[in-house]
Amino acid sequence: MSPDLFAFARRGAVFALLAALLVGFSLAEPAFLGLANFMSVLQSVSVVAILASGVTVSMAVGGFDLSVGAVAASTVMVSAYAMVVWKLGAAATVALALAFGLGVGLVNAALIVVVGVPDLLATLAINFLLTGLQLIPTAGRSIAAGLILPSGETAKGAFDPAFLSLGRARVGGVAPVPVLMMLAVGVLVFVLTERTRIGRLLFAIGGNEIAARLAGARVERLKTLAYLISGGLAALGGVIVAARVGRGDISSGASLLLDSVAASLIGFAVLAARRPNVLGSIVGAIFVGVLLNGLTMLNVPYYTQDFVKGAVLVGALGLTYGLGRRRA
Amino acid sequence: MSRLRLSGVFAALLSTTAFAAAPAPFDKPGVKIALVSYISAGDFFQAYQSGAEAQAKKLGIDLRVFPGKQDATEEREQIEQAVNLGVKAIVIDHGLPESLKDVAQKALDAGVKVIAFDVNLDNAKIPQVEQSDHLLAKLALEQAIKDNGESFKVGYVYVAGFAPLDRRDEVWTEFKKKYPGIQEIARFGAVNATTAASVADQAKAVLRAHPEITVIFAPYDEFARGAKLALGELGLADKVKVYSADVSTADIREITEAGSPWVATVATNPAVVGAVSVRAAALAAAGADPGHDIVVEPVLLTQKALKESGVTTVEELSAKLPAFGKSSAATAAWIPE
Repeated sequence: MSPDLFAFARRGAVFALLAALLVGFSLAEPAFLGLANFMSVLQSVSVVAILASGVTVSMAVGGFDLSVGAVAASTVMVSAYAMVVWKLGAAATVALALAFGLGVGLVNAALIVVVGVPDLLATLAINFLLTGLQLIPTAGRSIAAGLILPSGETAKGAFDPAFLSLGRARVGGVAPVPVLMMLAVGVLVFVLTERTRIGRLLFAIGGNEIAARLAGARVERLKTLAYLISGGLAALGGVIVAARVGRGDISSGASLLLDSVAASLIGFAVLAARRPNVLGSIVGAIFVGVLLNGLTMLNVPYYTQDFVKGAVLVGALGLTYGLGRRRA
Repeated sequence: MSRLRLSGVFAALLSTTAFAAAPAPFDKPGVKIALVSYISAGDFFQAYQSGAEAQAKKLGIDLRVFPGKQDATEEREQIEQAVNLGVKAIVIDHGLPESLKDVAQKALDAGVKVIAFDVNLDNAKIPQVEQSDHLLAKLALEQAIKDNGESFKVGYVYVAGFAPLDRRDEVWTEFKKKYPGIQEIARFGAVNATTAASVADQAKAVLRAHPEITVIFAPYDEFARGAKLALGELGLADKVKVYSADVSTADIREITEAGSPWVATVATNPAVVGAVSVRAAALAAAGADPGHDIVVEPVLLTQKALKESGVTTVEELSAKLPAFGKSSAATAAWIPE
């Protein structure tokens, strides 16, 4: 195979596979092809795609934000607490939730940039901290209307319907709000990382931090920006989960970390990028979503789903790193 | 006289043909029904699922099982997926009402019938299958009073928000009012992929902090498993007794183990409840009304009785105790049992 054709095949591999999946599943189960099902699939991956975008940005600077799952889960609790206990409205709650995510991003950045803790370790530690912290204000109980607080009194607020519509409404009766948010986030982060100078600097830092510093990049500030973005996006994901679940459930968001990291890694294979990229992460998330949805429609046992996710990840990484080595 | 006899013969003929001819859409096999569960792990749900699958097979139903894996957003999406798949009815097995009410209504609007098991969706059009949770808690607590008198200190395992646990909790609250000597010293509990292990860790902490506890009321078998594990590890198995709800083959073994602190449970056969749920879904899909509240009655199983009867599995228990092994809820002439 000539090098050009090879390169073309590598670049288009994920898209070709995605098309093959869509065709295959539609033939096997006609119900798969409906617009409603398509929107369903996109909606089911929207939170993972948003979190994966954040992880991608943190990977661009050579770091790795392992706290995104815990930030999303904590944001669910923060939103629920704000509405049920403090009786805040939808707008105030969303603002508070995003501020919380940005705050955690700042703490991550402080640990990494100021104290000097390696990225992976700092964010992992924050992950554990948040997982525990979210349980303390309510003494481990889930937050729903009528919650009995540790002080003994009953919380009198409830989830604001405007807030719930963030996760449940469909624009024009068709497009779910979370899907539109995923697309908006994807476009914004894509433009930031691929089309602006700041994006190039972020990747420069990821490639060689010392060289970037010597070339004049404000490494500390850019790294802080990366973690702020990651934390903020994770909080946005948490808001969507809270809006969908309608309750401050302490077990929501358990699988978000692994799923978003997997999507980001599958993104390495998309368009043969071999580096963190937002388009790839979102396509990766959608790929896994389509695969699992199709398999479910075909009545493949649910307990094989994690195996399938893992196989896809191994395949994508093999494709990315294995094929590339034979470059002429 | 002869006319009466003729009509008698007619009726007999009709009933036999009615048994053979199922109403649409069940006259052809392959009707799709979805079972969407919130909790996938644990004996109860596995037994429930196998009972549902067995009943579905007898009716020629293609039962699609969606596991929630304890994730509320997954459960929502699976209900939407089931509607997209074109199922005639959905059985929703546990879950968080706040995240399910609107999706269930959407399913109803799309013409799909919905049956709820142990989750209160507050909807007049959604029949609820339940295990008479009030009776489950009542019989367990009455046995506790028989064994321990009217004054003892209790560690209570409970997680708010699950309809069956909430119903059992109502009975517990009434009991405490009725018997002021029964004091709840500590309350703990967790529901996740490893419920028993998490509850065991919590129980160990609670028991160390409150050595005066003599009874643990754990109205769910995974909770009781966790409590028993903790008592074994702390060496308190002879000082504290565990009372629970639900039963499974593994539970029977743990109850009848030598020196086990798990002295009583009140239960229905989860497989029977699963079968009843599918029957109710089939009735609803066929256009019949299964009624709004479908109850499966539980029986009390004490450690003593189980040991004496030598029963080791749920199947043997069903065979020995007909009240446990069968339910007459949600039946019709055309539904094979």
